[in-house]
Amino acid sequence: MSELLRRYGPGLTLIFVLLTAFWLLMLVILPNITLFEASFRPYLPVTEIGGPRDVYSLNNYAKFLNNAVPASYFGIDVQIPVHLKTFLATVTYSGVVTIVCFLLSYPLAYYLAKVVNPKSLPTLILLLSIPLWVSEALRAFAWYIILTFNGPLNAVLVGLGVLEAPVRWQNGVMTPYDGIMIGLTYTYVLFMLFPIYGAIQSLDRNQIEAAEDLGARWWQIHWRVVLPHSRPGIASGCVMVFMLSAGSLLVPTVLPSTSSNWFTETIRQWMLESQDWNTGAAYSFLYILLCSVVVMVVMWLFRVKLNEIAK
Amino acid sequence: MTRTSNINRRSVLKGSAVTLGALAAPAIIPRAVLAQAGQLNFTGWAGYPRLAAEVFPAFTAATGIAVNFTELPDQDAMFAAAKVAVEAGGIDVIEPTIDRWGGWNSNGLLQAWDPTKLALDNYLPGLADGSAGERSRDASGALFYVPSNWGTEALVVATETATISEPGSLGDLFNPANQAVLRPHSTLAAMGRWLDAQGKLPRPWIDGYSDMAAMTELWDIALAEAIAAKGNVVQWWSGENEANAGFTANGATIGLCWDSTGFNLRNDGFRYIAPAEGAFAWHQGFVLMKNAVNTAEAHEFAKYVSTPEGAAGWAAAFSSNPVGKGAGDLLDPEVSAYYAATFDDAALAKLWWWPEQSAEFIAKRGEYADKYKAA
Repeated sequence: MSELLRRYGPGLTLIFVLLTAFWLLMLVILPNITLFEASFRPYLPVTEIGGPRDVYSLNNYAKFLNNAVPASYFGIDVQIPVHLKTFLATVTYSGVVTIVCFLLSYPLAYYLAKVVNPKSLPTLILLLSIPLWVSEALRAFAWYIILTFNGPLNAVLVGLGVLEAPVRWQNGVMTPYDGIMIGLTYTYVLFMLFPIYGAIQSLDRNQIEAAEDLGARWWQIHWRVVLPHSRPGIASGCVMVFMLSAGSLLVPTVLPSTSSNWFTETIRQWMLESQDWNTGAAYSFLYILLCSVVVMVVMWLFRVKLNEIAK
Repeated sequence: MTRTSNINRRSVLKGSAVTLGALAAPAIIPRAVLAQAGQLNFTGWAGYPRLAAEVFPAFTAATGIAVNFTELPDQDAMFAAAKVAVEAGGIDVIEPTIDRWGGWNSNGLLQAWDPTKLALDNYLPGLADGSAGERSRDASGALFYVPSNWGTEALVVATETATISEPGSLGDLFNPANQAVLRPHSTLAAMGRWLDAQGKLPRPWIDGYSDMAAMTELWDIALAEAIAAKGNVVQWWSGENEANAGFTANGATIGLCWDSTGFNLRNDGFRYIAPAEGAFAWHQGFVLMKNAVNTAEAHEFAKYVSTPEGAAGWAAAFSSNPVGKGAGDLLDPEVSAYYAATFDDAALAKLWWWPEQSAEFIAKRGEYADKYKAA
């Protein structure tokens, strides 16, 4: 603050502080507080707002546990609330996307950080980031076209004789969420790659050479030296990819199957189709809370601390 | 160091700042400026480019009023926009359907039209009078809704490959031999009406729209039947483009879709047929925002769409049916022929108008749609 005052004088400093405060308060904090408050109130016609029925309750949150539907987990048939089922599917498949992104990113990050000739590095990073120049919506639609029944993927595979009949890729070959997972992986893989690349890059080459000299095999070097060193990068990449996937609305709406449902779509349905912003707000906060719990538990399991990620 | 050019990093930055400021100015200028004569802020449906290309220019030529058109993909987005606009302004007229404006009005979003500034005699019989006329007014008789066009939701079928009963039925949607593109909540209603027509429901399907206990009883049955038949669904749709892609890209052979979808696919081997149970029908029109600033222009606009030219233009843009007398003669003969092929007098008499759906009903309907999707 004193540095700011010294550099820009009191007038400009005041403007900076006020603008930042306006941004945070009016555009971030107040809207969220409004939604938070609304999430405890019932959805009523405008004429009844503030009336006798407009009281605080947890009813909107409790709707999460309504409407039991049959489901099957590990071969066991159970009855669970439909929105809990949606939430579990969203978290599970976001987790799968995170793992796939990690498996794709780690070797590439290691290659970029330690193997490749530094001269060609800028070109490679440029090539990797080219897909980011295209809007996320267009990338999702591109995958929609690729995966459609009459689309290019089926045309090529049937044409080459790999498949006898076209496949409905979008409705899922392994799970109903195949299309969504492909789309999310493609969209968010770079959010995994760059943090890991940054972490591995800071590893001293001498440590790898020392391990080699002491007779470690390649997988031992990765397991004992490179992976532990890059753990903060991996952790922040995983948190980013997981939260972005779980929070994505575009990809799950463009690439759904007939039995997929992403939790963000449920929130949108409350907000838009049902016009019930109160329950929509309750679901949003519940979702943030539950996703944070999932992230915290996973971080605890892998013994990652928050301040490591922040580094 | 000498400067070799007038363009350097600093001058570019300064120039950009000035340009950006100028670009942002319209957003900063107070709304009152937007209320100047000859303007109308209209929020309507996205995906119908002939509105902006043909109808608005004709309206401007006839009245001198310019239309600021905001396109939204569906009524839910329009309702959300209206809820914001009633606080923030910026919308004069919106175009919901007749079954929804009651919910808008009970949320305090609307003001009544002044019938003396309109020309209610322009409308075709049955659209602004009779039962539709009653549904356009609130309990005190104030007119809140004037029609712009109307249309249907019925079967779009691939002529060569779909298996259709004789006559076509809503049940064909659930035939495993067909590949269907559907939207969840309409499909549950179609299942309900199909079961109703076969006498398989404990009470009439229509009861569910006025009584929530009847709704859950009936929708539970329809949901169970629809889930049992879900295997033939290849894709969901929620808007025009998705429905179209369901047929062209994903190879569906049957769908419960809007007439415009059938019209757009008419040359690709698809037919639009009215089921024996009667086609779903909708009625769309204009409502006036409570805080509209251009009310005189709004009345001119609604009146124009009741004239032969305006009604025909509107119907042509939506590939749907006109509301004004004399508009039929001005319609594209191809559109007229398309409708005549689907709806003879018997099919017209059987049209099933979407009943009014309360907020509670729509929320519950969403839960059923969720269960259907998740199955």
